[in-house]
Amino acid sequence: MGVTTDPDMATAPPGFLRRLLGSPSGAIGLAIVLLLIFCALFAEMLAPFDPNKMGSGGRFLPPGGKHLLGTDEFGRDMFSRILFGSRITLMIGAVAVGISLTIGMAVGMVAAFRRGWVEAILMRSTDVLFSFTETLIALSFVAVLGPSLQNAVIAVGVAGIPFYARTCYAAALVETSKPYFEASIAAGAGPVRLVLVHLLPNVLPTMIVVATLGASTAILAAAGLSFLGLGAQPPTSEWGYMLAGSRDYINRAPWLMTIPGIAIALTVLGFNLLGDGLRTSLDPVERT
Amino acid sequence: MWRFLGTRIAMGAFTIWITTILVTLLIHAVPGDPVQIMYAQSQGTTPEQIEEVRRSLGLDRPILVQYGLYMERLLQGDLGNTIRGGQPVLEVILQRLPNTLLLACAAMFIAVLIGVPIGFLAAYREGSFTDIALMIVAIAGISMPHFWLGLMLLFFFALELGWLPVSGNGWLNLILPALTLGLSNAAIFARLTRSSMIDVMSQDYVQTAFAKGLPKALVLRRHVLRAGLLPVVTMMGLQFAFMMGGAIVVENIFSWNGVGRMAVEAIFQRDYPIIQGFILTFSVVVVCVAIAIDTLYAVLDPRIRRS
Repeated sequence: MGVTTDPDMATAPPGFLRRLLGSPSGAIGLAIVLLLIFCALFAEMLAPFDPNKMGSGGRFLPPGGKHLLGTDEFGRDMFSRILFGSRITLMIGAVAVGISLTIGMAVGMVAAFRRGWVEAILMRSTDVLFSFTETLIALSFVAVLGPSLQNAVIAVGVAGIPFYARTCYAAALVETSKPYFEASIAAGAGPVRLVLVHLLPNVLPTMIVVATLGASTAILAAAGLSFLGLGAQPPTSEWGYMLAGSRDYINRAPWLMTIPGIAIALTVLGFNLLGDGLRTSLDPVERT
Repeated sequence: MWRFLGTRIAMGAFTIWITTILVTLLIHAVPGDPVQIMYAQSQGTTPEQIEEVRRSLGLDRPILVQYGLYMERLLQGDLGNTIRGGQPVLEVILQRLPNTLLLACAAMFIAVLIGVPIGFLAAYREGSFTDIALMIVAIAGISMPHFWLGLMLLFFFALELGWLPVSGNGWLNLILPALTLGLSNAAIFARLTRSSMIDVMSQDYVQTAFAKGLPKALVLRRHVLRAGLLPVVTMMGLQFAFMMGGAIVVENIFSWNGVGRMAVEAIFQRDYPIIQGFILTFSVVVVCVAIAIDTLYAVLDPRIRRS
């Protein structure tokens, strides 16, 4: 693309990784997220049983022995279900954030670059959508499209767009007023070059932090929809859905409630800590 | 100040107007025939009955006419009738809305009562062990899914200890759902209060007040708290909207009879008039609360009050 050779591009500052690993939140967050990716990639090899196979063991076996995290009401191995669930969780985070990030960034950058009536229309619509709150947008989408995991992920992704658009707009507005940007315009750079080569790489660090923190919000929101029965459907080993199923056996098998809950909380914590760590390592003000 | 509030009220009215358009369009975005889908679960509906419903919902008219009819009915306080039972939607919503508002207000009270002092303490002891420990608790609190927290509270306090009822709509029943919603938001308030207080404490006028030798308690009360709490007040408006959203999940855990539980049931039953009514009510409540909080903010902040 030639983007990496451009001298104007804001690359990660030198010693970025050292700083990220040096901050406790960054290091712990990165470790949790890497563990999650590892589980998702090697779920087949790590899982001792088929996650959806009923009767892998007896019903409601407590954690320990052959079934590390016990079994559920159908005798399915909880450890295997949690491992495969990590794959679904990561996919939910990636797709939902992907939707919010691409559309949100496009709206934000175009608004900041074009100004005038384009900016007015785009940003006022974003303000209106923002005041609807993410939950209401997501719920309305599921109400229209019908309950399914795919629809829940789309709903969560769309619901995040206003926030990403606002943040990107603010970051892009700062960049367009900088001397280097004005110099590029004076040098005759076209709109495509200005947006893709100058604006995009410079708003990217901010947006990476937003996306990392946003992944945790998206995962929580999608798990919430699945918990209500509006997302993942049986027999998917999605953690929010597993948690919903545990309600009927809360007295008999409390581990069915604690284990998926810990998995969701740990994942969300990982992305939150990593986002915090990235922000401190990338932000020159916080660095000094 | 009036100009500030005027802009906010105009923006709120614009948001509600856009909501009415989106709500009218919602039923057309449904893949397939919405009337067929709505009645798919009812046995023995004749094609004539389906046509009758289509006519009564105005779905056989051009979309602009439909919007006009919807607005005409809306201005008369008519949100249509529910598909199951044929009750007026407004009546169903008004029956349950007070429960949701009560839950959200109780949760807000808990969140502020716990979050603000924690944030203040952390800021006051910035960099100390107390600060770090409190902020670790806060980030853990933010990461905890409120539906999981709700289940855990239900398990310990209602089932194991038997101190509180499992579900229902009495005052005792309010404690667990309000705690669930309040505790997850307390963490957000704690973080915001901390950063806002740290900001204020580093201001020149606060340093001057300390340098003058004023008692610490006086500086904190008169100079730091007042200025530091302003962003927290603004945050309350935004947080209230999140709490209304969170209430949808929490009401379902504790079988709390609010509009959130009603909305989820309506989605399962494809009862679109209720869904439309819920979305409209939700945005009206959120807009009204935002305007109320902005008014409070304008009264508290002399820079706006005197402008």
